[in-house]
Amino acid sequence: MSRAPTKPVLIATLDRLLTWGALICGGATLIFMTGFSVWNVLIMRKALNAPITGAEDLLILSLVVIVALSIPLGARTGAHIEIEVLEARMSVAFAKWSMIAVKLMGAALLCVMSWRLWHAGGTASKFGETTQQLLISYEPFYYLLASSIAIYAAVLVLDIWQLLRFGKVVTLSFENGAP
Amino acid sequence: MISLTLLGILGLLSLFVLLALRMPVGLSMLGVGFIGTIIANANKFMVVGISQDQAWARGLKIAYSNLAGETFEAASNYNLLVIPMFVLMGNLAGISGMSNDLFSAAYRWMGHLRGGLASATIAACAGFAALSGSSLASAVTMGRVALPEMKKYKYADSLATGSVAAGGTLGFLIPPSGGMIIYAVLTEQSIGRLFMAGVFPGIILTLLFIGAIYFVVIRNPDAGPRGDRFGRAERLSSLWRALPILGIVLATIGGMYTGFFTPVEASSVGALLTFIVAVWRRSLNWQASKQVILETMNATATVFMIIIGAFVFIPFMSLTELPAQLVTILTSLPIGEIGILLIVVLIYMFLGMFLEAMAMLVLTIPVVIPIAVALDWNLIWFGIIVVIVLEMGMISPPVGINVFIVKSIAQNVPMSTIFRGIWPFWFAMAAMIGLLILFPQIALFLPQAVVGG
Repeated sequence: MSRAPTKPVLIATLDRLLTWGALICGGATLIFMTGFSVWNVLIMRKALNAPITGAEDLLILSLVVIVALSIPLGARTGAHIEIEVLEARMSVAFAKWSMIAVKLMGAALLCVMSWRLWHAGGTASKFGETTQQLLISYEPFYYLLASSIAIYAAVLVLDIWQLLRFGKVVTLSFENGAP
Repeated sequence: MISLTLLGILGLLSLFVLLALRMPVGLSMLGVGFIGTIIANANKFMVVGISQDQAWARGLKIAYSNLAGETFEAASNYNLLVIPMFVLMGNLAGISGMSNDLFSAAYRWMGHLRGGLASATIAACAGFAALSGSSLASAVTMGRVALPEMKKYKYADSLATGSVAAGGTLGFLIPPSGGMIIYAVLTEQSIGRLFMAGVFPGIILTLLFIGAIYFVVIRNPDAGPRGDRFGRAERLSSLWRALPILGIVLATIGGMYTGFFTPVEASSVGALLTFIVAVWRRSLNWQASKQVILETMNATATVFMIIIGAFVFIPFMSLTELPAQLVTILTSLPIGEIGILLIVVLIYMFLGMFLEAMAMLVLTIPVVIPIAVALDWNLIWFGIIVVIVLEMGMISPPVGINVFIVKSIAQNVPMSTIFRGIWPFWFAMAAMIGLLILFPQIALFLPQAVVGG
């Protein structure tokens, strides 16, 4: 039986944080989205004809939370789709260094993206960026997305470190549940 | 300064280079879209006489604003709520054993026929597709259930693996389909109408797949021997076990078609009903719950990163006017609308040999949709054609994703055997496209009858 490669402590810690964050916060948000949406539709709107004011607002914000939690997790599990058609035709050295270059570009781009999202969060209240009915400011949700993208960038930097140190990236797998 | 058309071509080339170097699809689109927006806007400002420094500064400002704005727009798009909800529903259906019940019911009704097990696999895939909306989930789940059974009855490896790989693709066509949701959001079409338009093509394609199996076993009876014949009581009891699935599909998809639910509401109701069934069957232990949540988050990450990339890339493509140029070129060709449609379909088939379906969908929409709009094609009908061509890509060599999924389950079957087995199904899909071109009402009848217009 082959043993799974050992992960560096830093990466193992990040994996645990991302997985438990996704499980607890993501799980709670999914349960809220499902339960709240059904309650609003079936009970409040269809049965009592009294839909909850701002239900759509809360669901939209829940979606932002789910997206923010899922993106860095997906970065560790390899969920972000790559086209690997040409990989088999590349030399080992080219495959490694091109991957490092690509991840470096990706990390730089994500840093800019995270910075701009953070900046947009800072100006959200000034420009009246709120939900339509409950007028909840988007500010904290911009910050959440900015943090999520920053973690994605950090994951790419750690991937580069793994490539340089071990020659390959060990991804997060939850075949047998959380790590 | 650079011409906008040339900028568009360079943008597309850069995108393909980045993709070939294995940059994730979402990030590639994001990067090219961001840089391209800076250059395109700076160019436009320079054309109207603004100084270079000023033009670049303004271009950068617009691109920064797009980057943050479009990202938040994608992450907070109410219509996209259906993605995590339908994915959750599919994952819950997978762990609650509904796939086994579907296959078991189809097997008891069809297994005694020649090639019946393969046909049962296709029917079960179609049923599971109505719950999961994912071709991968359908192929994995049904592959694990159906392949051992077909091996037991000495089915030809090519037919067994081919039917699972092709059956899995039905998840992309039969609503709720992830591909349709993305198409609808990016082309600003109604998700509900697209779902309705997918019903008849989904049923007809299922029948064409069963026809393809019949064709194979007529030519080679040993490829699909008969299975056991089951009595009436066993058949009815298998239907009884599969009843919750029918109930969920009727409640969610049916609720949507009758206008009782919007797609977002239907997805939540479906997820809750599937959750109740999973709890009732005691399938949801801690380990399974963790798996469901993490798989749902994972699939959400896949889809949303691509959508965010597309939201930044598409405005850049529009700025370059490249799609408009393509429309002019294509419409000036003396080949008529059908000829143009065939060219589009052939290009999709070619790209499908190398690109993943969802990636191909978001990459091609900015270029292809202006052509469809210019030629006044119905975008719902065109969407169904696109979805079917993307399905063909999922089983086309050399990188058909469903083939790799099946290979991971049937490890002793060579890839060449699996690819040999998919051809009858590939031609069935081509026939479906032909039918849709000849009879657009196959797709359009249901949305027009239910919601009009």
